[in-house]
Amino acid sequence: MLEANQLTKRYASLPAVQDLSFTLRPGQVLGCLGPNGSGKSTTVKMLTGLLEPTRGTVQFNGHSIQDDLPAYRRRLGYVPEEAHLYPYLTGWEYLEMVGTLRGMARAAIESKIDRLLQLFSLHPSRHASIGTYSKGMRQRILLIAALMHDPEIFIFDEPLSGLDVTSALIFKNLVHALGHAGKLVFYCSHVLEVVEKVCSDVLILRKGVVIAHDSVANVGRILGESLENTFLHLVDDVDTLRVANDIVEVMRAA
Amino acid sequence: MSLLAAKKLPHRWDKYLERPFWRLVQLFGERIFRGGGDSDSEGLDLGIGLVLTMLAMPGGFVALLLLNKYGSLLQWMRGQKNVDTLMIALPDEYFFIVLSMVVTGAVAIWRWDAIFPDRRDFGNLVHLPISTRTIFSANLAAVLFLVALVAFDVNAASCVLFPAVVTAAQTEFLFFVKFAAVHFIGAVLASIFSFFAVFSVLGALMAVLPASAFKRISAYVRGLIVVYLVSLLCTSAAVPDKIWRIRDHTPAWMFFLPSTWFLALCQSLRARSNPALMQLERLILPGFLVVVAVALGTYAIGYRRHFMRIAEMSETTAGTRNPRPSRFGNALRQLLLRTPFQRGCFSFVAKTLLRSETHRLVLAAFAGLALVLASQAMMIALEGAKSARAAALSADALSVPFILTFLSIVGMRLVFEIPVELRANWIFQLTLDRQRQECEPLARRVILITVLPWAAGVTFAVYFYFAGIVAASLHALLVLTWSVLLTNLLLIRFRKLPFTCSFPVFKQHSIVILIAFCFGFRIYAVSTPDFEASALLNPIRLLSLLPPALVAWYIPRHFAGNTIEVERKMIFEETGPRSFEMLHLGE
Repeated sequence: MLEANQLTKRYASLPAVQDLSFTLRPGQVLGCLGPNGSGKSTTVKMLTGLLEPTRGTVQFNGHSIQDDLPAYRRRLGYVPEEAHLYPYLTGWEYLEMVGTLRGMARAAIESKIDRLLQLFSLHPSRHASIGTYSKGMRQRILLIAALMHDPEIFIFDEPLSGLDVTSALIFKNLVHALGHAGKLVFYCSHVLEVVEKVCSDVLILRKGVVIAHDSVANVGRILGESLENTFLHLVDDVDTLRVANDIVEVMRAA
Repeated sequence: MSLLAAKKLPHRWDKYLERPFWRLVQLFGERIFRGGGDSDSEGLDLGIGLVLTMLAMPGGFVALLLLNKYGSLLQWMRGQKNVDTLMIALPDEYFFIVLSMVVTGAVAIWRWDAIFPDRRDFGNLVHLPISTRTIFSANLAAVLFLVALVAFDVNAASCVLFPAVVTAAQTEFLFFVKFAAVHFIGAVLASIFSFFAVFSVLGALMAVLPASAFKRISAYVRGLIVVYLVSLLCTSAAVPDKIWRIRDHTPAWMFFLPSTWFLALCQSLRARSNPALMQLERLILPGFLVVVAVALGTYAIGYRRHFMRIAEMSETTAGTRNPRPSRFGNALRQLLLRTPFQRGCFSFVAKTLLRSETHRLVLAAFAGLALVLASQAMMIALEGAKSARAAALSADALSVPFILTFLSIVGMRLVFEIPVELRANWIFQLTLDRQRQECEPLARRVILITVLPWAAGVTFAVYFYFAGIVAASLHALLVLTWSVLLTNLLLIRFRKLPFTCSFPVFKQHSIVILIAFCFGFRIYAVSTPDFEASALLNPIRLLSLLPPALVAWYIPRHFAGNTIEVERKMIFEETGPRSFEMLHLGE
């Protein structure tokens, strides 16, 4: 079980996240929604241990992750928001390096990489340098790197970015399957439909504060609306229809 | 009327600059300086101003250092009367010509990836209503502007300071003007020639080879050009002496040294030429025509072959390399690299050294310097030697492996500090245990595995052949021991994974490091072989090297023992010393 208790992060004196608390149980897929600057990335970085919270703790199975960060990270699969990879390594070499660093046995590394590259349709370009990969291909490399050591916790930060339709569909089903397999999944995204479809629970952030945290069904039921409308209702003060019309007007102006 | 026209002129100029062609020239110009290539890497963006200042600095500094040589008071104190200024300035002028060629050639190599429009430019520009011919012309104009700017900038300081220093003892201002003008012509033409020469070599490869092969092969060719440029710089000590002596007949090798052509031009413009120098001077025009024609021709072909067909080319080129090592390779890996950290990171470090452009170029520069110094030492050793054995046991020949290992080890230690794709280091931050610091053993293994096998192996084999087993064993053992000790000393308090940490902040003791480097070279590659040459006659004397070796072995251990916990933690960011620290008492 992953627990965030009163998580707070301040940059200088500006709060990025304030008093964030939630619990993630095995089999649960928790979606995290919020507009830009709402604190999603900061939350993800604190959950992965890349950033130390100013206050509060992240606990895994009752122990603070900071007590034994390497042990926690061995059980973590993380897909970052942007696919920053070493462009001169080939896809195979990158995955092999990650597997080795995670302490996996050589035979397991080779068989898993081979199989996963085939499943993610990257096998033909496995020996091409990552610098020549498209955004979607890089994203698939990140997904394989997060999956290959069979972790218990998954943290996905905008994992669908750049994926083609087939890969995106595979991934959505994969998240379901991971939930059914008893894994803990924290899923950050801007795409409301996906969160609505793949997540069992949702956490909505605004300016670093949790403004809604419940099951996807309940959040919609409370306001009697779809997740999209609920999100707009809770988070944005912007009249999106009016803004869209204004854009067209500006576009047409001489 | 004319006042009105004058007022409108800046406005018209601004309008003119707003044309698509000039906006493109500006775009390509900035791109050449600030980065390019297909990688999204931010690279080392120093800014145009700083780059230009750095390029101008070497010439300026060297010119100032010559004040000692040309000062009239100092000349008088040395008893030098009626000195022929133009004659004693010849070696220095040659040096400046070589320096300008080396720096400009290095710029052409460094910015090569940014010179040609790439996939990113294709994606951003081709769908706009601009013809591909305009893109071609604009990029060409930007390249020509770059050539002119760099050639002027590299020589700007030296073309003022060097003539000023040389003519300091002269009373006529006209003498200064004439000297400066001739020097400017020679040095700037040499710079432009050097740029186009590099451009034509790489352009020819680009025009002939397929894109994927070009990418692979050009890296090695660039390395070779760096070695050539470093070698050219090293000719500045020997060549002027030869030029002084030639009168009617020019040695054949001088025709292949373009730097001598431009020195000959300077001499000719000062009416100091002779038939031999005139022969060299005559090569400038055809040489220029060839390199410029080849450069522009291959540029056009390269543009047509690569840029125009980017849309047709697949973004990925499936390689055929099989990354799986052999059984022997695996066994060796298991033996030498004990932990997953060492195995994973060793492969990362080795691949970065082999594939990252910047790192390869820096290493190639060190290798070039090492080769040149080693070959000079070898030449001295062979001069006047009675036998091959005597030559092999001379201090100069013994210094060869020391020179090679010193510069290889120091070069590798330096490139470890140069980061690569910093944003991609998140994977190491996420997977590595910062407390269990294994960076120093890893870096040591990388250096020693790269340097020792060939250094000790070749040394032993060569000396076994020329001097027998005893001398070969002792010499190889000494090279090996010194290499290990030097590596240990250079890795004191090393706590970062090579290439994954930001650049070290500017340190005030950088000058001290440079002096230590020169001093270290002196002890390692000059004094040690000097002592060894005499000690090999009576090998028991080699035992006197034991105390300094023990001290060198103890120093890193002492530092390791006295390091506090925080300083042992692995780092991914270099931070300067804090002037104050927040105590966060309110939290």
